[in-house]
Amino acid sequence: MRRRRRTANVLYACAGVVVALVILFPFLFVLSASLQTESELIRRPPPIVAPQPTIDNYRYIFTGRVPAAYASKELLRGTVTKDVRQIPTGLRNSFIVAIGTVLVNLVLATLGAYTFARERFRGRQAAFYFILGSRLLPSVAVAVPIYIGLRSLGLLDSKLGLVLIYSAFTLPFSIWVLTLYFRSLPVELEEAARVDGCTRLETLRHVVLPLAAPGLAAIAAFSFLFSYSEFLFALFTTETSHAKTIPVIIASVSVNPDASYTLIAVGIVLSMIAPIVFALVFRRYITSGLVASLTRT
Amino acid sequence: MATGDAVVGGRVHARGVRLGRRGYSWVTLAPVLTLVALFTLFPVAYAAWTSVHRHVLVLQGRPFVGLRNYQNAIEDPLFADSIKSSLIFVAVSVPVVTLAGLLVALLLNQRVRGFGILLVLVLLPWSIPTVSAGITWRLLLHGDFGAIDGFLYRIGAIDSYIQWLSDPTLAMASVIGVHAWREFPLPAILFLAGLQTIPPELSEAARLDRASAWERFRYVTLPLLKGPLLIVLVYETIVALSVFDLVYVLTGGGPGSATTLFSWFTYTATFKYLNFGQGAALSFIMATVLVVFIAVYMRVVRLREEPS
Repeated sequence: MRRRRRTANVLYACAGVVVALVILFPFLFVLSASLQTESELIRRPPPIVAPQPTIDNYRYIFTGRVPAAYASKELLRGTVTKDVRQIPTGLRNSFIVAIGTVLVNLVLATLGAYTFARERFRGRQAAFYFILGSRLLPSVAVAVPIYIGLRSLGLLDSKLGLVLIYSAFTLPFSIWVLTLYFRSLPVELEEAARVDGCTRLETLRHVVLPLAAPGLAAIAAFSFLFSYSEFLFALFTTETSHAKTIPVIIASVSVNPDASYTLIAVGIVLSMIAPIVFALVFRRYITSGLVASLTRT
Repeated sequence: MATGDAVVGGRVHARGVRLGRRGYSWVTLAPVLTLVALFTLFPVAYAAWTSVHRHVLVLQGRPFVGLRNYQNAIEDPLFADSIKSSLIFVAVSVPVVTLAGLLVALLLNQRVRGFGILLVLVLLPWSIPTVSAGITWRLLLHGDFGAIDGFLYRIGAIDSYIQWLSDPTLAMASVIGVHAWREFPLPAILFLAGLQTIPPELSEAARLDRASAWERFRYVTLPLLKGPLLIVLVYETIVALSVFDLVYVLTGGGPGSATTLFSWFTYTATFKYLNFGQGAALSFIMATVLVVFIAVYMRVVRLREEPS
């Protein structure tokens, strides 16, 4: 019996290694590709580990210094050069838009969710299901009207416009997660605070919020990941480096047939750093938030 | 007289309190409701209105055209193609994603040393931008110097490089595969949470009854996972119907129209030809279909809630 258990564990461990490899392989490949020169990468088959790793590609994107390996052979074509140089701006725009959306979520979702969790009023159920249902409407189906609406507000090609769209798309999820979280807190503390003369907002601020930190962390992580990575709206509402976010920039570089693969790889690596850090730091809250929000109302 | 006043006063007072409470509720919800309505109700209503008018960016005037936009959209040969592609995509990717998630969850549920790391890794494909994942896989699947071909060639599985993204069937399979790679973490996490609520005694009892591993899964575990399973199936259908980013960076709908999913068709009809009327007609069709699925989803989630 014990022997069988041991064989089983070995099998599980092997399966675990396979799963880990399937997950990690693309990440390792793109990291390795970003550290090579183009001529190495297009060998058949491509080297799995960069034979002579170089950070020239990264330096080019941040400083504009053309890597020696390219300058000599003129592999780096003009259009691409300009495109990839937008990557740092795109990272900054994505970051600003994501943080803006997180702040909107923290304020508005907290207010709304606390009401849903504790107040009884007519229309509550309807309002709640309206908000929840709207979360799943696909972007493509609402894209045109939103484009036209933003245009008439003069918010095309602006970070503010993106923050508005992303807030509308993330708030339903945040409200759902936070409402569930607030409901799980003991109501007695709040009742005591109200008896002591606190208003609802004071109770929310001084009693509920300190207890709700994990819920707040979860919605911050979700809204950050969503708005940092969103593609469709960013694609057709932005035009210049003023508001273009990182997914738009790396997508436009990558569909350019002249693009250098190593520089594309650098863009991908840079685009993944912030989301991965966020996902790892907030992992626990993301997991519990996801499970609660998808399986409960 | 005096008593009457008191009653009236009491009533006013009581109503004042109630109003205050209702007022607070709606004031705190107003910003959210407004934003969400502006970005969902308004667009859907606007799409419905636009879809019965001519609305082409390069043409002047917006005359009422009845259902002609719908007719034109449906008569476009790409319409039927895109519906077929979307159905294939949903029919294959939803079971693949669900099964992959279930298998990974069953694996992670085993107490093996080192699986803590695996639990962290599982979140990675889901956390990065879809665009980044798609481009990475496009490089990996490249028909001339892709690492996938390189690997298969090196181990002798293939004699010549496969053109993954230039062959209609393989391109569809590739989009599904990449979608599954990115999407499986969600069901895996949900199933794992479900598995962890199953008391180990149940499985233990079945083991003592000499049930095989398969029987224990089939008759003990699976029935208890029914709730999460239904939710995952409906949710992943909604996700699969909405896929857009991946098609954009992986195949651009091609080769030909092999990976022109319905959402991609809607996008190109609108933004490539700037025919907002026709685009709106397609958007409205898509919104209607999705609203049905969303209603089913909410129902499934609620049904699961009620017994507990």
